[in-house]
Amino acid sequence: MHIKLRNLKRDYGSLHAVQDVSLDIPSNTIYGIIGRSGAGKSTLVRLVSMLEKPDSGEVYYDDERVDTLEGKALIEKRRHIGMIFQTFNLFSSRNAVGNIAYPMEICGMDKAYIRNRVSQLLALVGLEGRGDAPISTLSGGQKQRVAIARALACQPDILFCDEATSALDPQTTRSILALVKELQARMNLTVVMITHQMEVVRDACERVAVLDNGRVVEEGMVSDIFANPKSEVTKDFLSNLTNVKDSIVRWSSQSGRFTLRFRGGTTDEPIISNVSNETGASFNIRAAGVQHVGSEEMGVMVLDIGPDEQHVRAAVELLKKYGVSVEGDF
Amino acid sequence: MDMQMINQVMEATGETLVMVFFSTIFSLMLGLPVGVLLHITGKEADGGIIPSPVFNNVLSRIVNILRSFPFIILLIVLIPLSRIIVGTSIGTKAAIVPLSIAAAPFVARIIESALKEVDPGVIQAAKAMGSTNWQLVWKVLLPEAMPALMSGLTLTIINLIGYSAMAGTIGGGGLGDLAIRYGYQRFRPSYLVAAVIVILVMVEIIQIAGDRIVKRMMARR
Repeated sequence: MHIKLRNLKRDYGSLHAVQDVSLDIPSNTIYGIIGRSGAGKSTLVRLVSMLEKPDSGEVYYDDERVDTLEGKALIEKRRHIGMIFQTFNLFSSRNAVGNIAYPMEICGMDKAYIRNRVSQLLALVGLEGRGDAPISTLSGGQKQRVAIARALACQPDILFCDEATSALDPQTTRSILALVKELQARMNLTVVMITHQMEVVRDACERVAVLDNGRVVEEGMVSDIFANPKSEVTKDFLSNLTNVKDSIVRWSSQSGRFTLRFRGGTTDEPIISNVSNETGASFNIRAAGVQHVGSEEMGVMVLDIGPDEQHVRAAVELLKKYGVSVEGDF
Repeated sequence: MDMQMINQVMEATGETLVMVFFSTIFSLMLGLPVGVLLHITGKEADGGIIPSPVFNNVLSRIVNILRSFPFIILLIVLIPLSRIIVGTSIGTKAAIVPLSIAAAPFVARIIESALKEVDPGVIQAAKAMGSTNWQLVWKVLLPEAMPALMSGLTLTIINLIGYSAMAGTIGGGGLGDLAIRYGYQRFRPSYLVAAVIVILVMVEIIQIAGDRIVKRMMARR
């Protein structure tokens, strides 16, 4: 099910939480929405998931307008989406089985069917045999697995993940993301993943929208955005990820400071050596790394180029010819 | 201590138990819906489901006024109502009416504050899954708040034991009545002592039982 947002706006008093957001979230994919805290992500997900109504603008699921739904129709529509949260939000009055059964109970499903489906779901999220466990005895990762099973109980078309991995350690985060990816593929889900962690986008999402001050500042394929970020916010997120920051080193004052991004095949070639040989420019590498974005390899390198402007220009030009994205100041 | 006194204390204990038992049930029946309404019509940030500030404000004021009404005056004011409902204005049965009404606003507040403890995130999750308001109240709010509700119930019963002692003034019977009529007015302090001891034991039993139940509920979570 694809989701279409048109000119969404939501204010809280004088705070413009979401201003003029339009997005197309294709079906059967994992779509990331990333932003710093206060960027409007939580409000946006509440608007998209029908928990809150926008001041203006429209939300469509498969061309059906949903932001105007009321009463029974609204409740009915909500039963076809799933949602998981940073704080899991499980019912402490119910054990794992009871939690997973809840969405089916409220739809008035048959008891025998529910029992059957719950054990299927427990197996699906890798929690066989833990069904009777009180929620407080489960670890964070297990709680999120119960929450995922609960969200998928009624076979939804859309799964919203609101900072679903933010309370988890890196290893658990990876296992939860792997589970979401697996289930997405198996159930043809449209997954909308709200996060402030670029590694979540890198490891799980196909497309991403970057949110800042309630606006979308950048949108596209994750691999494109990693290879060629446009906005300052995105660059900032990426530099956090590679630990390459302004403050790390300041090697020279006269020649510029450059960030190079290599994607795909370009990471296999000795580009820097080639450019150095061909142009006579000298490079001083301050930091570098390679990471996996989806199925692609992506290299990042922060360096200074010398010795003078003429060489710098030649080198940058050649680098671009090799397909490397170059950011920096002359 | 003679046989007669023991019999009288036993009888009065029975009357107190009857008054407390029925007024607990009726005050719950009156207070529960009011407490739930107070909570769900409250601000969304406090976990309200259907925020309606005006209604909430009015209801809250009414509850406060009823709560600040001195019980001894309520007893007298409600004499005609007791007569309508149970057919008489004197006796244990008649005392249940003002007792229930006096405890109801207290119960409402206790229930409201118990529901406020429920994590708003859990409510939001249940809402996102397509729960109706009715389901939110019965299948989420009340079960989630159950330990807090249970300790509120304990508190209510103990309060009612105290209130029921005052019901003696309208001939309600019970331990308070016995203590005043025999112990105080007829200078028989042994009655006073006996009544107080029985009340103390009752309160202690209720408190311990209530605490146990809450503890057991928490252990299962």
